[in-house]
Parts: sequence; C-alpha cells; structure tokens
Amino acid sequence: MSRFAGPQVEESVACNLIPMIDIMFLLLLFFMLGADMSARELEEVVLPKADQVAQESKTKDPNEGGRTTVNVFHQHTNGPAADCPAFSAGQVCRDMTHWMIAIRSNYYTLDTIKGALEEEGKLEIEEVGKDGKAISKREVMIRADENAPYGYIQKVIEACASAGIYRIVVGAAKPEPK
Amino acid sequence: MAGSQDPNENPVAINVVPMVDVIFCLCVFFMCSFKFKQIEGKFDSWLPKDKGLGAMSADMVIQEIRVAMFWDEPTQTTMRQLGSRKVKSDDELQQLIRSGYDDAVRTGHPDIPVTIDAADKVPWKDVITVVNLCKREKIDKIEFAFGAVAK
Repeated sequence: MSRFAGPQVEESVACNLIPMIDIMFLLLLFFMLGADMSARELEEVVLPKADQVAQESKTKDPNEGGRTTVNVFHQHTNGPAADCPAFSAGQVCRDMTHWMIAIRSNYYTLDTIKGALEEEGKLEIEEVGKDGKAISKREVMIRADENAPYGYIQKVIEACASAGIYRIVVGAAKPEPK
Repeated sequence: MAGSQDPNENPVAINVVPMVDVIFCLCVFFMCSFKFKQIEGKFDSWLPKDKGLGAMSADMVIQEIRVAMFWDEPTQTTMRQLGSRKVKSDDELQQLIRSGYDDAVRTGHPDIPVTIDAADKVPWKDVITVVNLCKREKIDKIEFAFGAVAK
C-alpha cells in the first residue's frame, strides 16, 4: 500500500428513510381518517342535479324523528338486469323489474318494501289518526338514481303513505361549480 | 443521529424496510378505497297526514299550476306541458311557472301549488328539474299527482 494514500473515503451511501416514513405516515393518517368505514347506508347512486337543494343542517331538532334512507338504483351489477342493453348503452332503462330498493344494504322490491317501511314507521309513532292508523314521525329520504322511472318512486312514496310515514325528503346533488 | 443507517453508530438499528413496505401497502389500499364525497342536499316533501290517496272530492275546484310530463319513446325524451302549451326549454317553463304564480298572487291565491303530473316512465331527474325550477321561483308548495288507485 502506498505510503501517501489519501484519506479513506466512506463508501456507505445508506438512504435516510426517516422523512419518507414521516410522509407515508401522514398520508396513511389522511386516508384512514378520510375513508368511509360507516355502514353502507348510502348505495352508489347518481343523484339528479339541482342547484336549489337545501343543505343538511348540522343541528337536529329534538322533536324530529330518525331517518331511514331508501336507495333506488338500477341493479346493473348483478341480478336479472346485469346485461341490460339500455343501461349499458347509457340510455334510460324503463324496465321496472331492473330497478331495486335498498335500506341499510337490505334489498327490496316494490312488493316487499311496504312491509319494511311499516317496520321503520313503527319505530317512532307520533300520533294515532282518527281512523286508528298510526302516524310516524320518522323521516324517509329517497335517494333515487337520476334515471329511475318516476312511476317506481311514486310506488315508494305510496308505500310510505300507507306505512304512516309522511315526512319524505328527496335527495339531489349540487351541480359542480363551473 | 436519529435514524442513521450506519450500524457502527447504532448497533441496534431497526430495519425499517418491512415497515415501509407495510405502510406502502396500507397507503395504496386506502388510496384505492378513498372516495371524494359528493355534496348532497334534499328537498322536503311532506305528505298529507289526514287524507289518503284519492281522498279529494272530484267536484272541488282546483286552483293549481299543473305541469304535465310525458315520456316520448321514439325520441327518448320527456315532453312537458303547462296547461295546453308545450314547453321546450327549462327557461320557458320557469317563465310560465313564474307568470302563473304571479297571476295567482294577484288574484289572492299566494298558496297555489305547483302540481307535477308525470307519467310512470319519466326519468326522476326530469321531475327534480321541475322541482328545482319551482324552488328558483321561491314556490314551496309542490305536489306530486298520483293516478287513481284501481278498484
């Protein structure tokens, strides 16, 4: 070895991972807090757009009842309507049998929704009418797909009325600002 | 230095590589499942408590602004009509609703309802469009017409 060899150069080029881990932790925290882990009350529905919709108030009137969300959507992902040509082509599907109703991830048809709404109505009875029929203070929010046939939603409203539920709210989405 | 990778400096250095792998996986999972929430709102629509479907007597004079909606199968569009007049655009319909409402207010009927009488096949979004036009005109009394129940 030469007597005049230069100073020994350290060859370790270890990467400092700490800032990366810090950022990864922050990202992880953001996505964990932002992720929706709640029960699937809301189905994936394309709501109709309306610029005049009222925003949900943060405070709740103590006299108000609870809320049941009724989702009306096209069953294009499964079931008999899986290969609906109209829906696949982005057109309006008018086949009533292709549409479905869901309440808290329980699925119903127009024939079975009445019983489910009656059960919901019984949860919070406000008063008993002159004809002995119970009137519920429970609110029903109808979140229907924008292309759902009106006749189908009409039947859901009718089922609410016969279940003694009169507080109906229809869901709509704010159009995105231009 | 904290976090130094040099084992000579810190003989019990933790191998952070598996942890980084796991965090990456978790990050990818949450990123993929993340959804930006759409701003949703609502339209209140209280049903009558004391009268059922078809409880209104037929001889009652109805003061209303009625928007009829039909589904045109060949063109796959909704046809709208106010009174006997066919309406082509949203602006025209809004203008007609406004003038009808102004007339009702002038004749002492400020609580006149707008009745939406839509056919079964009309898409829900078109019904909501009419509701939205009424709300723009500050009309809160909006009614949905139901067909008579077959006996």
